Amino acid sequence: MILVEDVHKRYQTDHGPGKWVLQGVSLTIPPTVNVGLVGRNGAGKSTLLRLIGGVDTPTRGRIERRCRVSWPMGFGGGLQGSLSGRQNAKFVARVHGHEEDVDERLAYVEGFAELGAAFDEPVKTYSSGMKSRLQFGLSLAFDFDVYISDEVTAAGDAAFRAKAAAAFKDLAGRAGLIMVSHNDGTLKQFCSAGIWLHEGRAHWFDALDDALKAYKESSAP
Amino acid sequence: MIVVCWMPPAPVLALLSTVPASNVQGCRNLTAFLDNSRSSVAVTLSVWNALFLREALSRISGGRAAWVWLFMAPVAHLAILMVMFSTIRTRFVPGVEIAMFLSVGILAYGLFRSSSTRSMAAISANRALFAYRQVKPVDVVLVRAFLEGVIQLFVALIVFAGMSLFGFDVLPSDPLMVMLIFVLLWIFGTGLGLLLSVGSTLVPEIGQVANLLFIPLYFLSGVLFSPSMLPPGLLEWLLLNPLMQGIELLRGAFMSGYQMVGGLDLFYLTAFAFVSLFLGLAVHVRFSSRLLMQ
Repeated sequence: MILVEDVHKRYQTDHGPGKWVLQGVSLTIPPTVNVGLVGRNGAGKSTLLRLIGGVDTPTRGRIERRCRVSWPMGFGGGLQGSLSGRQNAKFVARVHGHEEDVDERLAYVEGFAELGAAFDEPVKTYSSGMKSRLQFGLSLAFDFDVYISDEVTAAGDAAFRAKAAAAFKDLAGRAGLIMVSHNDGTLKQFCSAGIWLHEGRAHWFDALDDALKAYKESSAP
Repeated sequence: MIVVCWMPPAPVLALLSTVPASNVQGCRNLTAFLDNSRSSVAVTLSVWNALFLREALSRISGGRAAWVWLFMAPVAHLAILMVMFSTIRTRFVPGVEIAMFLSVGILAYGLFRSSSTRSMAAISANRALFAYRQVKPVDVVLVRAFLEGVIQLFVALIVFAGMSLFGFDVLPSDPLMVMLIFVLLWIFGTGLGLLLSVGSTLVPEIGQVANLLFIPLYFLSGVLFSPSMLPPGLLEWLLLNPLMQGIELLRGAFMSGYQMVGGLDLFYLTAFAFVSLFLGLAVHVRFSSRLLMQ
Protein backbone atom coordinates (compact mmCIF):
# COMPACT_ATOMS: atom_id res chain seq x y z
CA MET A 1 0.00 0.00 0.00
CA ILE A 2 1.24 3.45 -0.85
CA LEU A 3 -0.09 6.50 0.94
CA VAL A 4 0.15 9.90 -0.70
CA GLU A 5 -0.98 12.64 1.66
CA ASP A 6 -1.62 16.18 0.50
CA VAL A 7 1.46 16.24 -1.70
CA HIS A 8 2.47 19.54 -3.26
CA LYS A 9 5.37 19.78 -5.63
CA ARG A 10 7.05 22.56 -7.51
CA TYR A 11 10.48 22.71 -9.02
CA GLN A 12 13.12 25.34 -8.53
CA THR A 13 13.76 27.15 -11.79
CA ASP A 14 16.38 29.69 -12.78
CA HIS A 15 13.87 32.41 -12.01
CA GLY A 16 12.94 31.27 -8.53
CA PRO A 17 10.26 28.77 -7.59
CA GLY A 18 8.29 27.46 -10.56
CA LYS A 19 4.57 26.92 -10.77
CA TRP A 20 2.94 24.19 -8.76
CA VAL A 21 2.97 20.89 -10.62
CA LEU A 22 1.05 19.00 -7.98
CA GLN A 23 -1.32 20.78 -5.63
CA GLY A 24 -2.72 18.69 -2.85
CA VAL A 25 -2.60 15.19 -4.25
CA SER A 26 -3.99 12.62 -1.80
CA LEU A 27 -4.21 8.99 -2.78
CA THR A 28 -4.16 5.57 -1.27
CA ILE A 29 -2.91 3.09 -3.80
CA PRO A 30 -3.92 -0.39 -2.67
CA PRO A 31 -1.55 -3.29 -3.18
CA THR A 32 -1.86 -5.62 -6.18
CA VAL A 33 -3.90 -3.13 -8.15
CA ASN A 34 -2.55 -2.14 -11.52
CA VAL A 35 -3.02 1.58 -11.97
CA GLY A 36 -2.68 3.64 -15.10
CA LEU A 37 -1.77 7.29 -14.75
CA VAL A 38 -3.29 9.58 -17.35
CA GLY A 39 -3.18 13.30 -17.98
CA ARG A 40 -1.91 15.68 -20.60
CA ASN A 41 1.78 16.49 -21.07
CA GLY A 42 3.12 18.41 -18.12
CA ALA A 43 0.27 17.38 -15.84
CA GLY A 44 2.80 15.91 -13.41
CA LYS A 45 2.57 12.22 -14.20
CA SER A 46 6.30 11.60 -14.20
CA THR A 47 6.71 13.90 -11.21
CA LEU A 48 4.21 11.85 -9.23
CA LEU A 49 5.97 8.64 -10.25
CA ARG A 50 9.31 10.03 -9.14
CA LEU A 51 7.82 11.06 -5.82
CA ILE A 52 6.25 7.65 -5.29
CA GLY A 53 9.52 6.01 -6.24
CA GLY A 54 11.33 8.09 -3.63
CA VAL A 55 13.68 9.67 -6.14
CA ASP A 56 12.49 13.15 -5.33
CA THR A 57 10.90 14.65 -2.24
CA PRO A 58 7.60 16.53 -2.18
CA THR A 59 7.70 20.27 -1.45
CA ARG A 60 4.86 19.75 1.02
CA GLY A 61 2.97 16.72 2.21
CA ARG A 62 4.27 13.22 2.60
CA ILE A 63 4.46 9.85 0.92
CA GLU A 64 4.61 6.59 2.76
CA ARG A 65 5.66 3.35 1.13
CA ARG A 66 4.41 0.40 3.14
CA CYS A 67 5.87 -2.12 0.78
CA ARG A 68 8.81 -2.53 -1.52
CA VAL A 69 8.53 -0.14 -4.43
CA SER A 70 10.72 -0.35 -7.50
CA TRP A 71 12.60 2.59 -8.91
CA PRO A 72 10.81 4.42 -11.73
CA MET A 73 11.83 2.68 -14.93
CA GLY A 74 11.93 4.70 -18.06
CA PHE A 75 13.93 6.91 -20.43
CA GLY A 76 17.39 5.62 -19.68
CA GLY A 77 17.32 6.72 -16.07
CA GLY A 78 19.47 4.62 -13.80
CA LEU A 79 21.84 3.45 -16.49
CA GLN A 80 25.41 4.68 -16.77
CA GLY A 81 26.31 5.17 -20.41
CA SER A 82 30.01 4.37 -20.16
CA LEU A 83 29.45 1.02 -18.45
CA SER A 84 28.18 -2.14 -20.11
CA GLY A 85 24.76 -3.60 -19.53
CA ARG A 86 26.29 -6.30 -17.37
CA GLN A 87 28.16 -3.79 -15.22
CA ASN A 88 25.03 -1.70 -14.79
CA ALA A 89 23.08 -4.79 -13.80
CA LYS A 90 25.75 -5.73 -11.27
CA PHE A 91 25.57 -2.27 -9.78
CA VAL A 92 21.80 -2.42 -9.40
CA ALA A 93 21.98 -5.89 -7.85
CA ARG A 94 24.53 -4.69 -5.32
CA VAL A 95 22.57 -1.57 -4.44
CA HIS A 96 19.56 -3.74 -3.74
CA GLY A 97 21.57 -5.94 -1.42
CA HIS A 98 22.06 -8.94 -3.66
CA GLU A 99 25.80 -9.18 -3.32
CA GLU A 100 25.63 -12.96 -2.77
CA ASP A 101 23.39 -13.92 -5.67
CA VAL A 102 24.64 -11.40 -8.20
CA ASP A 103 25.25 -14.15 -10.73
CA GLU A 104 21.68 -15.46 -10.59
CA ARG A 105 20.25 -11.98 -11.05
CA LEU A 106 22.62 -11.28 -13.90
CA ALA A 107 21.63 -14.51 -15.60
CA TYR A 108 17.98 -13.54 -15.30
CA VAL A 109 18.53 -10.05 -16.71
CA GLU A 110 20.65 -11.40 -19.53
CA GLY A 111 18.04 -14.01 -20.38
CA PHE A 112 15.13 -11.63 -20.23
CA ALA A 113 16.67 -8.72 -22.10
CA GLU A 114 17.98 -10.94 -24.92
CA LEU A 115 20.64 -8.43 -25.82
CA GLY A 116 23.14 -11.05 -26.90
CA ALA A 117 26.70 -9.78 -27.21
CA ALA A 118 25.51 -6.20 -26.67
CA PHE A 119 25.06 -7.03 -22.98
CA ASP A 120 28.82 -6.51 -22.63
CA GLU A 121 28.92 -3.32 -24.69
CA PRO A 122 28.60 0.17 -23.16
CA VAL A 123 25.00 1.23 -22.63
CA LYS A 124 25.60 4.44 -24.61
CA THR A 125 25.78 2.32 -27.77
CA TYR A 126 22.29 0.91 -27.14
CA SER A 127 19.19 1.90 -29.03
CA SER A 128 16.23 3.08 -26.99
CA GLY A 129 14.55 -0.28 -27.47
CA MET A 130 17.59 -2.11 -26.17
CA LYS A 131 17.78 0.23 -23.20
CA SER A 132 14.19 -0.42 -22.27
CA ARG A 133 14.76 -4.17 -22.61
CA LEU A 134 17.62 -3.89 -20.16
CA GLN A 135 15.67 -1.70 -17.75
CA PHE A 136 12.71 -3.99 -17.90
CA GLY A 137 14.78 -7.07 -17.26
CA LEU A 138 16.56 -5.29 -14.43
CA SER A 139 13.42 -4.33 -12.60
CA LEU A 140 11.88 -7.78 -12.99
CA ALA A 141 15.02 -9.40 -11.59
CA PHE A 142 14.15 -8.10 -8.14
CA ASP A 143 11.06 -8.83 -6.10
CA PHE A 144 9.08 -5.67 -5.58
CA ASP A 145 5.52 -5.32 -4.34
CA VAL A 146 4.86 -2.41 -6.67
CA TYR A 147 6.55 -1.72 -9.98
CA ILE A 148 6.68 1.80 -11.38
CA SER A 149 6.93 2.20 -15.11
CA ASP A 150 7.22 5.45 -17.04
CA GLU A 151 6.46 4.60 -20.67
CA VAL A 152 9.02 1.84 -20.55
CA THR A 153 6.87 -0.76 -22.29
CA ALA A 154 6.23 1.60 -25.18
CA ALA A 155 9.71 1.02 -26.56
CA GLY A 156 10.88 -2.28 -27.93
CA ASP A 157 9.70 -4.37 -30.84
CA ALA A 158 6.52 -6.43 -31.04
CA ALA A 159 8.11 -9.62 -29.74
CA PHE A 160 9.56 -7.88 -26.73
CA ARG A 161 6.32 -6.11 -25.96
CA ALA A 162 4.52 -9.42 -25.99
CA LYS A 163 7.13 -10.82 -23.63
CA ALA A 164 6.89 -7.79 -21.33
CA ALA A 165 3.13 -8.09 -21.31
CA ALA A 166 3.35 -11.74 -20.37
CA ALA A 167 5.80 -10.92 -17.59
CA PHE A 168 3.51 -8.23 -16.22
CA LYS A 169 0.50 -10.51 -16.39
CA ASP A 170 2.57 -13.01 -14.46
CA LEU A 171 3.12 -10.45 -11.75
CA ALA A 172 -0.55 -9.65 -11.41
CA GLY A 173 -1.82 -11.00 -8.14
CA ARG A 174 1.68 -11.02 -6.70
CA ALA A 175 2.60 -7.39 -7.25
CA GLY A 176 1.07 -4.10 -8.28
CA LEU A 177 1.96 -1.81 -11.11
CA ILE A 178 1.76 1.94 -11.51
CA MET A 179 2.31 3.00 -15.06
CA VAL A 180 2.32 6.07 -17.26
CA SER A 181 1.55 5.69 -20.91
CA HIS A 182 0.01 7.78 -23.66
CA ASN A 183 -1.07 4.63 -25.39
CA ASP A 184 -4.62 3.59 -24.44
CA GLY A 185 -3.99 0.07 -25.65
CA THR A 186 -0.99 -0.40 -23.38
CA LEU A 187 -2.88 0.97 -20.40
CA LYS A 188 -5.92 -1.20 -21.06
CA GLN A 189 -3.72 -4.23 -21.47
CA PHE A 190 -2.08 -3.86 -18.09
CA CYS A 191 -4.20 -1.73 -15.81
CA SER A 192 -7.59 -2.04 -14.18
CA ALA A 193 -7.78 1.22 -12.20
CA GLY A 194 -6.85 4.70 -13.27
CA ILE A 195 -5.62 8.00 -11.87
CA TRP A 196 -6.35 11.14 -13.81
CA LEU A 197 -4.05 14.06 -13.08
CA HIS A 198 -5.64 17.38 -13.86
CA GLU A 199 -4.64 20.89 -12.78
CA GLY A 200 -2.40 19.66 -10.01
CA ARG A 201 -4.93 17.31 -8.52
CA ALA A 202 -5.39 13.57 -8.78
CA HIS A 203 -8.70 11.84 -9.35
CA TRP A 204 -8.98 8.14 -8.63
CA PHE A 205 -11.15 5.88 -10.80
CA ASP A 206 -11.78 2.27 -9.95
CA ALA A 207 -12.13 1.54 -13.65
CA LEU A 208 -9.48 2.66 -16.08
CA ASP A 209 -12.06 3.38 -18.75
CA ASP A 210 -13.65 6.06 -16.57
CA ALA A 211 -10.29 7.72 -16.07
CA LEU A 212 -9.60 7.70 -19.79
CA LYS A 213 -13.06 9.09 -20.43
CA ALA A 214 -12.62 11.93 -17.96
CA TYR A 215 -9.22 12.72 -19.43
CA LYS A 216 -10.55 12.76 -22.98
CA GLU A 217 -13.54 14.89 -22.12
CA SER A 218 -11.32 17.47 -20.45
CA SER A 219 -8.90 17.63 -23.36
CA ALA A 220 -11.57 17.73 -26.06
CA PRO A 221 -11.96 21.20 -27.54
CA MET B 1 21.63 -19.08 26.97
CA ILE B 2 21.93 -15.39 27.55
CA VAL B 3 22.66 -14.85 23.93
CA VAL B 4 19.64 -16.86 22.85
CA CYS B 5 17.24 -15.09 25.19
CA TRP B 6 18.47 -11.62 24.50
CA MET B 7 16.05 -9.42 22.64
CA PRO B 8 17.16 -5.98 21.57
CA PRO B 9 15.29 -3.19 23.35
CA ALA B 10 12.59 -1.46 21.39
CA PRO B 11 14.65 1.55 20.24
CA VAL B 12 17.30 -0.78 18.88
CA LEU B 13 14.70 -2.79 17.01
CA ALA B 14 13.27 0.40 15.60
CA LEU B 15 16.72 1.44 14.47
CA LEU B 16 17.50 -1.92 12.94
CA SER B 17 14.34 -1.99 10.93
CA THR B 18 13.63 0.77 8.48
CA VAL B 19 9.91 0.36 9.04
CA PRO B 20 8.40 2.33 11.91
CA ALA B 21 6.17 0.09 14.02
CA SER B 22 3.09 2.21 13.35
CA ASN B 23 3.36 1.55 9.62
CA VAL B 24 3.25 -2.17 9.98
CA GLN B 25 -0.47 -2.74 9.57
CA GLY B 26 -1.72 -2.71 6.07
CA CYS B 27 1.18 -4.03 4.12
CA ARG B 28 0.12 -7.01 2.13
CA ASN B 29 3.26 -9.05 2.25
CA LEU B 30 3.97 -7.94 5.76
CA THR B 31 6.21 -10.78 6.84
CA ALA B 32 8.03 -10.86 3.53
CA PHE B 33 8.46 -7.11 3.69
CA LEU B 34 9.93 -7.19 7.19
CA ASP B 35 12.18 -10.12 6.36
CA ASN B 36 13.47 -8.46 3.26
CA SER B 37 13.68 -4.88 4.43
CA ARG B 38 17.23 -3.99 5.26
CA SER B 39 18.43 -1.64 7.93
CA SER B 40 19.59 1.80 6.85
CA VAL B 41 23.17 0.87 7.64
CA ALA B 42 22.99 -2.26 5.51
CA VAL B 43 21.53 -0.27 2.60
CA THR B 44 24.23 2.38 2.86
CA LEU B 45 27.01 -0.18 3.05
CA SER B 46 25.78 -2.04 0.00
CA VAL B 47 25.43 1.26 -1.88
CA TRP B 48 29.00 2.22 -0.97
CA ASN B 49 30.24 -1.16 -2.05
CA ALA B 50 28.44 -0.95 -5.39
CA LEU B 51 29.48 2.65 -6.00
CA PHE B 52 33.09 1.99 -5.09
CA LEU B 53 33.42 -0.89 -7.52
CA ARG B 54 31.64 1.09 -10.22
CA GLU B 55 33.78 4.21 -9.73
CA ALA B 56 36.99 2.23 -9.53
CA LEU B 57 36.14 0.42 -12.73
CA SER B 58 35.42 3.57 -14.71
CA ARG B 59 38.42 5.43 -13.22
CA ILE B 60 40.97 2.72 -13.85
CA SER B 61 39.68 1.05 -17.00
CA GLY B 62 37.67 3.85 -18.59
CA GLY B 63 39.35 4.88 -21.82
CA ARG B 64 42.61 3.63 -23.23
CA ALA B 65 45.14 2.77 -20.51
CA ALA B 66 43.49 5.16 -18.09
CA TRP B 67 45.58 3.82 -15.24
CA VAL B 68 48.81 4.81 -16.99
CA TRP B 69 47.74 8.43 -16.94
CA LEU B 70 47.21 8.28 -13.20
CA PHE B 71 50.97 7.77 -12.81
CA MET B 72 52.00 9.83 -15.78
CA ALA B 73 50.50 13.02 -14.37
CA PRO B 74 52.70 13.30 -11.25
CA VAL B 75 55.73 11.77 -12.97
CA ALA B 76 55.57 14.21 -15.88
CA HIS B 77 54.97 17.05 -13.45
CA LEU B 78 58.03 16.02 -11.47
CA ALA B 79 60.15 15.60 -14.60
CA ILE B 80 59.31 19.08 -15.90
CA LEU B 81 60.06 20.71 -12.57
CA MET B 82 63.30 18.74 -12.25
CA VAL B 83 64.49 19.95 -15.64
CA MET B 84 63.53 23.51 -14.75
CA PHE B 85 65.28 23.51 -11.42
CA SER B 86 68.37 21.67 -12.51
CA THR B 87 68.96 24.14 -15.34
CA ILE B 88 68.24 27.21 -13.23
CA ARG B 89 70.22 26.23 -10.17
CA THR B 90 71.85 23.14 -8.89
CA ARG B 91 71.29 23.47 -5.18
CA PHE B 92 67.82 24.44 -4.16
CA VAL B 93 67.29 23.69 -0.49
CA PRO B 94 70.33 22.91 1.61
CA GLY B 95 70.63 19.37 2.95
CA VAL B 96 67.85 17.90 0.84
CA GLU B 97 67.53 16.04 -2.45
CA ILE B 98 65.62 18.33 -4.73
CA ALA B 99 63.75 15.44 -6.37
CA MET B 100 62.47 14.24 -3.00
CA PHE B 101 61.58 17.77 -1.99
CA LEU B 102 59.51 18.27 -5.13
CA SER B 103 57.89 14.85 -5.30
CA VAL B 104 56.60 15.00 -1.72
CA GLY B 105 55.01 18.37 -2.47
CA ILE B 106 53.58 17.30 -5.82
CA LEU B 107 52.06 14.09 -4.46
CA ALA B 108 50.63 15.77 -1.37
CA TYR B 109 49.11 18.56 -3.41
CA GLY B 110 47.82 16.01 -5.92
CA LEU B 111 46.11 14.05 -3.16
CA PHE B 112 44.36 17.13 -1.86
CA ARG B 113 43.47 18.47 -5.26
CA SER B 114 42.14 15.28 -6.78
CA SER B 115 40.16 14.20 -3.75
CA SER B 116 38.44 17.58 -3.62
CA THR B 117 37.91 18.25 -7.33
CA ARG B 118 36.89 14.69 -8.22
CA SER B 119 34.38 14.54 -5.40
CA MET B 120 33.14 18.02 -6.28
CA ALA B 121 32.09 16.67 -9.68
CA ALA B 122 30.63 13.45 -8.26
CA ILE B 123 27.01 14.57 -8.07
CA SER B 124 26.67 15.76 -11.65
CA ALA B 125 28.57 12.73 -12.96
CA ASN B 126 26.31 10.27 -11.16
CA ARG B 127 22.94 11.88 -11.72
CA ALA B 128 21.60 8.82 -13.51
CA LEU B 129 22.14 6.74 -10.39
CA PHE B 130 19.82 8.79 -8.23
CA ALA B 131 17.01 6.93 -9.98
CA TYR B 132 17.61 4.37 -7.25
CA ARG B 133 16.38 5.97 -4.06
CA GLN B 134 18.98 4.03 -2.07
CA VAL B 135 21.72 6.17 -3.63
CA LYS B 136 22.07 9.58 -1.99
CA PRO B 137 24.25 12.45 -3.21
CA VAL B 138 26.48 12.23 -0.15
CA ASP B 139 27.21 8.58 -0.98
CA VAL B 140 28.66 9.30 -4.39
CA VAL B 141 30.79 12.16 -3.03
CA LEU B 142 32.20 10.16 -0.13
CA VAL B 143 32.88 7.11 -2.26
CA ARG B 144 34.71 9.17 -4.86
CA ALA B 145 36.83 10.90 -2.24
CA PHE B 146 37.68 7.55 -0.70
CA LEU B 147 38.57 6.01 -4.05
CA GLU B 148 40.72 9.02 -4.92
CA GLY B 149 42.63 8.64 -1.66
CA VAL B 150 43.29 4.97 -2.38
CA ILE B 151 44.42 5.76 -5.92
CA GLN B 152 46.74 8.57 -4.82
CA LEU B 153 48.18 6.30 -2.14
CA PHE B 154 49.09 3.73 -4.78
CA VAL B 155 50.41 6.44 -7.10
CA ALA B 156 52.66 7.73 -4.32
CA LEU B 157 53.89 4.24 -3.42
CA ILE B 158 54.74 3.47 -7.03
CA VAL B 159 56.42 6.82 -7.67
CA PHE B 160 58.57 6.40 -4.55
CA ALA B 161 59.35 2.78 -5.43
CA GLY B 162 60.47 3.96 -8.85
CA MET B 163 62.60 6.71 -7.33
CA SER B 164 64.27 4.24 -4.98
CA LEU B 165 65.40 2.31 -8.05
CA PHE B 166 67.23 5.48 -9.10
CA GLY B 167 69.00 5.53 -5.79
CA PHE B 168 66.98 8.12 -3.90
CA ASP B 169 66.48 7.65 -0.21
CA VAL B 170 62.70 7.46 -0.21
CA LEU B 171 62.03 5.91 3.18
CA PRO B 172 60.38 8.46 5.48
CA SER B 173 62.21 9.20 8.69
CA ASP B 174 58.94 9.52 10.62
CA PRO B 175 56.46 7.13 8.96
CA LEU B 176 53.66 7.62 11.50
CA MET B 177 53.70 11.36 10.98
CA VAL B 178 53.68 10.86 7.19
CA MET B 179 50.61 8.63 7.49
CA LEU B 180 48.87 11.08 9.79
CA ILE B 181 49.42 14.01 7.45
CA PHE B 182 48.38 11.93 4.46
CA VAL B 183 45.09 11.10 6.19
CA LEU B 184 44.58 14.70 7.27
CA LEU B 185 45.12 16.03 3.74
CA TRP B 186 42.73 13.35 2.50
CA ILE B 187 40.05 14.32 5.03
CA PHE B 188 40.55 17.98 4.23
CA GLY B 189 40.15 17.24 0.53
CA THR B 190 37.02 15.20 1.25
CA GLY B 191 35.54 17.95 3.40
CA LEU B 192 36.20 20.58 0.77
CA GLY B 193 34.82 18.20 -1.86
CA LEU B 194 31.62 17.75 0.15
CA LEU B 195 31.21 21.51 0.48
CA LEU B 196 32.01 22.22 -3.15
CA SER B 197 29.81 19.39 -4.43
CA VAL B 198 26.80 21.02 -2.78
CA GLY B 199 27.92 24.50 -3.81
CA SER B 200 28.57 23.64 -7.44
CA THR B 201 25.31 21.71 -7.76
CA LEU B 202 23.19 24.53 -6.39
CA VAL B 203 25.22 27.36 -7.97
CA PRO B 204 27.25 26.08 -10.96
CA GLU B 205 29.47 29.18 -10.91
CA ILE B 206 30.93 28.07 -7.58
CA GLY B 207 32.40 25.02 -9.29
CA GLN B 208 34.01 27.10 -12.02
CA VAL B 209 35.49 29.59 -9.57
CA ALA B 210 36.77 26.74 -7.38
CA ASN B 211 38.51 25.16 -10.36
CA LEU B 212 40.16 28.50 -11.15
CA LEU B 213 41.29 28.96 -7.56
CA PHE B 214 43.20 25.69 -7.56
CA ILE B 215 45.84 27.30 -9.81
CA PRO B 216 46.89 30.07 -7.39
CA LEU B 217 46.51 27.60 -4.54
CA TYR B 218 49.19 25.48 -6.18
CA PHE B 219 51.65 28.35 -6.08
CA LEU B 220 50.64 29.41 -2.58
CA SER B 221 51.03 25.92 -1.13
CA GLY B 222 54.78 25.77 -1.41
CA VAL B 223 55.00 22.91 -3.87
CA LEU B 224 57.71 24.74 -5.80
CA PHE B 225 59.58 26.45 -3.00
CA SER B 226 60.48 26.06 0.61
CA PRO B 227 58.70 28.51 2.92
CA SER B 228 62.04 29.12 4.65
CA MET B 229 63.12 31.03 1.54
CA LEU B 230 60.36 33.58 2.00
CA PRO B 231 60.72 36.95 3.73
CA PRO B 232 59.16 36.81 7.22
CA GLY B 233 56.43 39.33 6.46
CA LEU B 234 55.11 37.27 3.56
CA LEU B 235 55.63 33.97 5.34
CA GLU B 236 53.31 35.01 8.13
CA TRP B 237 50.47 35.34 5.65
CA LEU B 238 51.23 32.27 3.59
CA LEU B 239 51.30 30.11 6.69
CA LEU B 240 47.58 30.80 7.07
CA ASN B 241 47.20 28.31 4.23
CA PRO B 242 46.65 24.93 5.91
CA LEU B 243 47.81 23.17 2.78
CA MET B 244 51.22 24.85 2.94
CA GLN B 245 51.52 23.83 6.57
CA GLY B 246 50.60 20.26 5.72
CA ILE B 247 53.09 19.99 2.87
CA GLU B 248 55.86 21.53 4.95
CA LEU B 249 55.15 19.19 7.87
CA LEU B 250 55.10 16.27 5.48
CA ARG B 251 58.55 17.20 4.15
CA GLY B 252 59.89 17.43 7.67
CA ALA B 253 58.49 13.99 8.46
CA PHE B 254 59.88 12.54 5.27
CA MET B 255 63.42 13.92 5.26
CA SER B 256 65.33 14.02 8.52
CA GLY B 257 67.76 16.65 7.21
CA TYR B 258 65.05 19.06 6.18
CA GLN B 259 64.86 22.31 8.10
CA MET B 260 61.18 23.13 8.59
CA VAL B 261 60.17 26.73 8.87
CA GLY B 262 59.01 27.89 12.32
CA GLY B 263 55.37 28.51 13.17
CA LEU B 264 53.96 25.21 11.90
CA ASP B 265 51.08 23.70 13.81
CA LEU B 266 49.68 20.25 13.15
CA PHE B 267 46.51 21.17 14.98
CA TYR B 268 45.82 23.93 12.44
CA LEU B 269 45.60 21.43 9.57
CA THR B 270 43.65 18.97 11.74
CA ALA B 271 41.11 21.64 12.58
CA PHE B 272 40.67 22.56 8.93
CA ALA B 273 40.27 18.91 7.98
CA PHE B 274 37.61 18.05 10.52
CA VAL B 275 35.74 21.35 10.45
CA SER B 276 35.44 21.13 6.65
CA LEU B 277 34.41 17.48 6.86
CA PHE B 278 31.62 18.08 9.36
CA LEU B 279 30.54 21.29 7.70
CA GLY B 280 30.40 19.43 4.39
CA LEU B 281 28.30 16.64 5.87
CA ALA B 282 26.00 19.18 7.51
CA VAL B 283 25.51 21.00 4.21
CA HIS B 284 24.64 17.69 2.56
CA VAL B 285 22.02 17.02 5.21
CA ARG B 286 20.62 20.52 4.90
CA PHE B 287 20.29 20.43 1.11
CA SER B 288 19.67 16.71 0.64
CA SER B 289 16.37 17.17 -1.18
CA ARG B 290 17.50 20.19 -3.21
CA LEU B 291 20.43 18.16 -4.56
CA LEU B 292 18.09 15.52 -5.96
CA MET B 293 15.97 18.00 -7.90
CA GLN B 294 16.45 18.05 -11.61
